[in-house]
Amino acid sequence: MNSIPSLKKTVFRWETFLIILLLFEVIVFGYINPKFLIPRVFFGSINNFMTICIVSLFVTFVLITGGIDIQSGSIVGLTSIFIGVLWKDAGINLYVACFLGLALGAICGALSGFFVAFTGVQPMVVTLGGSFLYSGMALMITNFSSTESYKGINGFPKEFTQFVKGRIFNIIPNQLVIFLVLVIIAYFILHKTTYGRKVFLCGVNKNAATYSGIKTKLIIMSTYMLAGLGASLAGILLTAYLGTAKTDLGKEITLPVITAVVLGGTSNLGGTGGVIGTALAALVIGILRFGLSMADVGTQYLDIPVGILLVFAVAFRFAGSNPHIRKYSQKLERALPFKKALTK
Amino acid sequence: MIKKLSIPRETTSIVFLILLFVSVGSINSSFLTFNNIMLNLNSSVIYAVVAIGIAFVIITGEIDVSVGATLGLTAAVCGSMVRDGNVTMGIIYAIVFGLSIGLFNGIGVTVLRIPSIIMTLGTNGIVRGLIYVYTNGKWVENIPLKFKAFSQERIFGAFTWFYLAVIMVMIISYFLMTRSRVGRYFKAVGDNPNGANLLGIPVNGTKLFAFALSGLFASIGGIMYVSRVGFITPMAGSGYEMKVIAACVLGGISLNGGVGSLIGATVGAAIMASISRVLVFLGFPSNYDNTITGILLILVVVFDAVLQAGSAEKMRRQRLAAKIMHIKTTVPEVLVNE
Repeated sequence: MNSIPSLKKTVFRWETFLIILLLFEVIVFGYINPKFLIPRVFFGSINNFMTICIVSLFVTFVLITGGIDIQSGSIVGLTSIFIGVLWKDAGINLYVACFLGLALGAICGALSGFFVAFTGVQPMVVTLGGSFLYSGMALMITNFSSTESYKGINGFPKEFTQFVKGRIFNIIPNQLVIFLVLVIIAYFILHKTTYGRKVFLCGVNKNAATYSGIKTKLIIMSTYMLAGLGASLAGILLTAYLGTAKTDLGKEITLPVITAVVLGGTSNLGGTGGVIGTALAALVIGILRFGLSMADVGTQYLDIPVGILLVFAVAFRFAGSNPHIRKYSQKLERALPFKKALTK
Repeated sequence: MIKKLSIPRETTSIVFLILLFVSVGSINSSFLTFNNIMLNLNSSVIYAVVAIGIAFVIITGEIDVSVGATLGLTAAVCGSMVRDGNVTMGIIYAIVFGLSIGLFNGIGVTVLRIPSIIMTLGTNGIVRGLIYVYTNGKWVENIPLKFKAFSQERIFGAFTWFYLAVIMVMIISYFLMTRSRVGRYFKAVGDNPNGANLLGIPVNGTKLFAFALSGLFASIGGIMYVSRVGFITPMAGSGYEMKVIAACVLGGISLNGGVGSLIGATVGAAIMASISRVLVFLGFPSNYDNTITGILLILVVVFDAVLQAGSAEKMRRQRLAAKIMHIKTTVPEVLVNE
């Protein structure tokens, strides 16, 4: 009995499963509400969960090194209000402000990454502290703004919002294109560069990575920086799409993001996973939420199916290494002698 | 050296809490009145209860991020029943709900082998959704005044009944954890699950018990929430999980498991609850709250980690030196002959 199937085989199988799940969702929701299948509506749905998609892509890197990142949501809000205040109250060019916002996201991520990598504190605690710190900073920044914080900063120039809201051929939204480009970039970084191999090795065995001359601390720190960068990019896109800069954007994305990454086949213990799986899982979750809301399920209830999906998917994935289940499967195997004959 | 290491970790947090009070009191003397200190402690009561519950889970080396939603759901259940006049039933149902959510988490972690952060994150979503299902998205209001007044009543003008109960629970469970056999299982499991297993400690059973306790204490927190706050929104208790974990960490409980005590959790909760009041007394806007909490949390943890790493390194060196001394004193002839 080979207990550990080859990595490539597992990943392949899991991603196929996600695609089947995605198709299943499309068929079911299309059956419930035929409007769901109108291309404009179907492709447009990505606008609703773009933030989750982008953030989860880069949080994958962190989970592969064996860490966890629960601060991304607050970086989304921080970037949003930061560019809003820079543009409206400090009078800086909007695109320069966006660039500064990206830099801020990267710095925030790098700060948490520094503490995780160089002091050996559990990533959970550091990013928990980070989520307090960055959401608090976002609130502090609103003190510099003339606008009341609950209203949000409005009135962004049209070309800024139009780029994100626009659609190619009036059907495929630009956000989908941006997402695909980001998937390709993330895939290239993680799976096709030496940096990506180092990220994996840090997750598989950090000591071995250190002894083979990899600067593990820098690599781990850089993954948090990438996650921060991704979160701030998502924050900018969300600001542009909604046309308002607010502090509480992205406040509720921690559950969906971690769900997407884990459902995508990345282990939270590090070492395995991939960008394609995350991207597919993010789409599965997004379309699940969108389809349910089109099937007249209230938006407040949408956390229930996402939570159930997360628990079941992970239970299913861990079933192979579960001694309880393995005991039964071995019993079953003993009870079925013809299977032995087949394998011989 | 051994004496130095054996200073309980929660002492640092108690000292920190006292320093915080004294330093703020030196800036604004009205902070250091008896009444205000008691107000601070009493306002931390919900954090303290939930923190004690989650401390069991963290000490066994797992994590539970579903306590906020559990608190919300049990508060909604209890609140709606108390509103209809069924106080006992409300409390019983709340506790049953809390326990079953805790057991659900525990079964997922121990039997299905789902990593606890993922399991409880999933439960968090499910339970948060169930609150909307239960309340239809409406607020639970009109809690009887008598029930609400119970949280304000003070004994000898000091602690409320709730805080007194928390102190009792803290003392009882402290002795259970340090003096009783089963109580010591928690730390053993958190410190080294495989070693605990070899010693015959039921690792899975202990973890299951810890999760059940976490759910139970979250539901008690929910009942207190009904009494203290008096209205329950569907978002009640969201964010509590993070604050409570932060409280545990500030109280010296290590998220790696095996280290910490329930006294630390209570003290950490008091620190967390004091921060926003401290800011008011220092004249800062209260929306600096999160920033200060975040900075404090990171600083405390990093400081602690650096200290721990330093002392571990020192211990290692001492052991090495002792070994070398041992070799030199006991077997010099062999070395010389060779």
